[in-house]
Amino acid sequence: MARHRKFGMERNKAKWGIIFILPSLIFFAVFSFYPIINAFYLSFHRKDLLSLRAPKFIGFDNYTYLFGSSNFWNSVLSTTFFTLGTFIPLLIFSLILAAFIMSRKRFQKFFQMAFYSPAVLSSVVAAVIWLLVFDPRGLGNQMLNTLFNSPGVDHKWLATDTMLRLSTIIVYFWKYIGYFTIIFIAGMASIPKQLHEAAYIDGANRWQGFWRVTFPLLKPTVLLVSVMSMIQCLKTFSTQYLFTVSGTPSKPINVITLNIYNTAIRDHRIGRASAMSVLLFLVMLFFTAMQIKGSKSDDVTYM
Amino acid sequence: MRNNKIKHSILGSVGDTLIWIFLIGTAALILMPLVFMFTSSIMPSKDIFKMPYPWITSEFKWQNYWNAIRGPDGDFMYLRNIFNSFFVSSVVSFTTVILSALTGYGLAKFPFKGRTVVFLLIMSTMMIPFEAIMIPMYMVVINMGLQDTYPGLILPFLTNAFGIFMMRQYLITFPDEILDAARIDGASEPKIFWRVILPNAGPAIATLAILTFRTQWDNLLWPLLIAQTDKMKTIPLYITRFTAETHTDEGAMMAIAAIASIPMFILFFTLSKYFVSGASLTSGSKG
Repeated sequence: MARHRKFGMERNKAKWGIIFILPSLIFFAVFSFYPIINAFYLSFHRKDLLSLRAPKFIGFDNYTYLFGSSNFWNSVLSTTFFTLGTFIPLLIFSLILAAFIMSRKRFQKFFQMAFYSPAVLSSVVAAVIWLLVFDPRGLGNQMLNTLFNSPGVDHKWLATDTMLRLSTIIVYFWKYIGYFTIIFIAGMASIPKQLHEAAYIDGANRWQGFWRVTFPLLKPTVLLVSVMSMIQCLKTFSTQYLFTVSGTPSKPINVITLNIYNTAIRDHRIGRASAMSVLLFLVMLFFTAMQIKGSKSDDVTYM
Repeated sequence: MRNNKIKHSILGSVGDTLIWIFLIGTAALILMPLVFMFTSSIMPSKDIFKMPYPWITSEFKWQNYWNAIRGPDGDFMYLRNIFNSFFVSSVVSFTTVILSALTGYGLAKFPFKGRTVVFLLIMSTMMIPFEAIMIPMYMVVINMGLQDTYPGLILPFLTNAFGIFMMRQYLITFPDEILDAARIDGASEPKIFWRVILPNAGPAIATLAILTFRTQWDNLLWPLLIAQTDKMKTIPLYITRFTAETHTDEGAMMAIAAIASIPMFILFFTLSKYFVSGASLTSGSKG
């Protein structure tokens, strides 16, 4: 009897478990799995956004078109420039800032809040602020000219290719530096204090304490921040969109997401946009897989 | 030996001062654009580009805020768009919290066949970036006839794998004795979820709700696809429209930006704990 009841309870539990999970599962089926499968499907078809005609199978045509299109390679280049130009400085500076903040006995909270505050803004707001800073008459020129003692020079923040790319990088760097600093601080705070104390007793100075103790133990966080920031940079859209809408040249900052958006919505070429989406997905999948692999082999445990 | 120690401490204190200078300088640089936004929002446009930049304006132009709200067409569309942002972000936060808690609870406390597979399946959606599926997703939503509607703006964000993961991790340590006690008292499973689980998941719920609210508040790409008429637009879309159409009224532009940011700053200063836990959690989930 008791065994029977127990068995009944298990079955009851299984039933409720499935009921609780079902709504989310249906949701993911419609809004994650179906779209990604459909993206693959559409990438092999010709499909106009507005026409009701069924997608026409064209094999790898969308992909061969993309690989021969200078517009596509320009986007790949813009995205690569942006990603490398953003995530490497982000990684280095957030690590330095986190180490410096952790070395302070006071005002830790204040600096964390100050560095993090731009992350609170919407990306669009961040872009609008910097749009004015980068204006030929704006603060950006003023500050550079004070620094280099070169009054009246226009650095063409929003006009030349290199400067425009740099400008989008600055916006992104500014917005996310505090976020990654906080992640590093969380990583450093989880390293037991005794390890440092032991190193200092053995005669290590603070510099050695950081390089020989903190840094090696922080490897998983470094890997995590690199991949996270890299993936985020690959997805950048808002800054570039707002800049081009407000009239800057679009070519140097026509990143891949912007290209997908324009190809689908402005040119109505769903097939091509899907092919680009699939390529973007595969690149990100590669980095995510690399991170998962790396984080497993690099696990740090404190005894 | 002694000499060495003195040398060290002098070097140390020089290094110390340099670190202070570096930190304070960086903080000033990072905060400057924020201050610029607020000070410019009450300046006439000519002051914004004055050389050198007058951090405190000589003539306060509060009218910038009026122009910002009134809009280029004089139809006060910004108010409507602010409402839309609040509405969409709130509904999405609410559904995300409820659905994530429900699913996380199911995954944490109810063993059934294939549970691990389901869990991995849900987690795998974290690897699908929104940007890669937005076009097929967009076609799903227009096929449902939901273009330019609130459901269209909300539906794709009802829940997410990260929220489910977070709630599952949080609830997995919840004591089974309490759940069994409630069952013996005759409480139904939905009632246990509503009366026992939800009230006891406060910190996780707060972190997830704030994270979701912010993500939606910041969302540009999806509303750009879905919202066609001005009435359905959200704050980021209003800002892009205003910037594209009237980029000569810089003061009003900064007023719009300030208005869009004030709710987030209020949240940040009152609940900064959850902002920080959100940031370090996002990292934990992927590690």
